[in-house]
Formats: sequence, C-alpha cells, structure tokens
Amino acid sequence: MTDSPAAAAAGFEAEALPHLDAVYRFALRLSGSPDQAEDLVQETFVRAYKAWGQYARGYGAAKSWLFTICRNVSLRGRERRQRHDEIVTENVGRDGPGSNPVNPVWVSVLGVDPEGDFFESIVEERIIQAIDDLPEEYRTAVVLSDLEGLPYADIAELMEVPVGTVKSRLFRGRRQFQSVLYDYAVEMGYIAARAGTDE
Amino acid sequence: MSFLDKLKSLFAGTRQDDGGSALPEIPCEEALSFVHDFLDGELSGVSQNQVKAHLDACQRCYPHLHLEEVFREAIRRAGTEQQDPAELKVKLMELLAEAGA
Repeated sequence: MTDSPAAAAAGFEAEALPHLDAVYRFALRLSGSPDQAEDLVQETFVRAYKAWGQYARGYGAAKSWLFTICRNVSLRGRERRQRHDEIVTENVGRDGPGSNPVNPVWVSVLGVDPEGDFFESIVEERIIQAIDDLPEEYRTAVVLSDLEGLPYADIAELMEVPVGTVKSRLFRGRRQFQSVLYDYAVEMGYIAARAGTDE
Repeated sequence: MSFLDKLKSLFAGTRQDDGGSALPEIPCEEALSFVHDFLDGELSGVSQNQVKAHLDACQRCYPHLHLEEVFREAIRRAGTEQQDPAELKVKLMELLAEAGA
C-alpha cells in the first residue's frame, strides 16, 4: 500500500468510519456496558487506523475487519480478567442443524399466538438483555448474523471457526434466545402458556 | 406458466421454478431444517425457489417460517434502537488525529 498519509486518512474516513454505529452496537453486545463499549470502539478504530496500510481493501470488507478487531480486543480483555467461563462443545449432529428441525418453542407459540404478536409486547430492553445473556460464542454469531447481516463465511472467518460451527452456534443461540423470550412472555402474561409445551 | 399448470404441477408432486424446470418436492422435515439457511440466503445443495415453494404452500411449515421472520424482525428492531453516543464520534476523531500525528 503506497497511499500518502493524507490519502490513507481519507480512505479510512470513507471506508471505516461509516461502520462506527455497527461496531458500537457489536461492542455493546460483547461488553454489556456502554462505558466498556466506548473503550472497545475507540481501541478498535485506533488499531484499525494504525493498520490501515496492511488492510486489503475490498467492497464491504471493512465492516467484517472492524468486527474482527473489536472481538479480538474484547476477548483479550476478558482473558486477562478470567479464563473461559464456559466451554461450548461443538457437536453439530447432537444439538445443531442436524437435530430436530421442528422448533419446540414455535410449536408452543402456534397453539396460542400463531402470528407471533407477543413479540410486539416485549420491550426492546428485554430483547437486548436476552441477547446479552447468551454465551459469548452464541451471542457473537447471533449479533453478527441477525443484527448486522453478515454472511456465514464472514462470521466463520471472524470467529476463526468452520462455517458448520457458525451454523451450529446460530441454531443453538437462536433457540435458546427464543426460549428465553417465550418464557418471559408467558411470565408477563403476553402469551398464554400451553400445556405440554414439548412436541 | 399458467395458474392451471401450477395447480397441475402441485398435484403431480413437482413444482416449477422461474426457469420452468421441474423441481422435486421436499418433505416437511427437510424444508423445516432449511428455514434458517433460507432466511439467511445461505442455502446450498437445494434451490431458494424449491424451499420457498414448499414453505409458502405448506400449512404445517409456513407458520414456523412466519414466526422465525417475526422473531428476526424483533431482534433487528431492538438492535437498531441503540445508536452510538454522539460524543463517541468526537472522541474517536481526536484519538485518530493523535494516532496519525
């Protein structure tokens, strides 16, 4: 990369800075607190700026690259505080895309609220809290896919896992997430509990 | 393809994609297992049209697809509610100016 400093700064401003909102959202979900998210965003962008010369530019790639840096910074910070608090076993066949394709949560919902109107009653904060309560591996995959719309291949590269693992984490993360929201909706009376919730 | 042809193909156990070629029916279990990949635009080994044809027409599967869509919409709505604080942008620009100095 032979850009002059001024051209590099202009390139960074044009290609990286527009993703500030998305990186902040991601940082917020990774850290769970606005203050930590701000620190995470600042460190992410400063690192990205310093490494801009090595960044292989490509359409749409800056966002994934920034997410990668953000996650790495977050993980390193967490490792300093504690070792992995939960080992998520990756067995796609046992409890992933290869398992029961009929979602038991939806089976319960279909009996009482087939349009899924109860989602309208759940406040945004409760949904965000349910995301934040997911194990990190699931949370990262769900946020990158469902909030940021990244393709599986980009998420796999970012999380340094095979695409099959991404699918497994999305599958289990979404089901866990849906189950938590359903339980909350029942608890709050937004939806009637259905006897025999299992298939 | 006329409406009548579409009906005939449904009763014959095949569906037609946009190109007019016959697509084999997929069973419900299989169609449901594709719901996430279908919504994510990540299907492989089966066409988007083939899965869509089943999910749109099947009384058992369509409600699952619909709830999955409503769920995702709720996530997106909640996620985009939170914007970055304006002062973060200012702070960041200062930091970047220092980093570039």
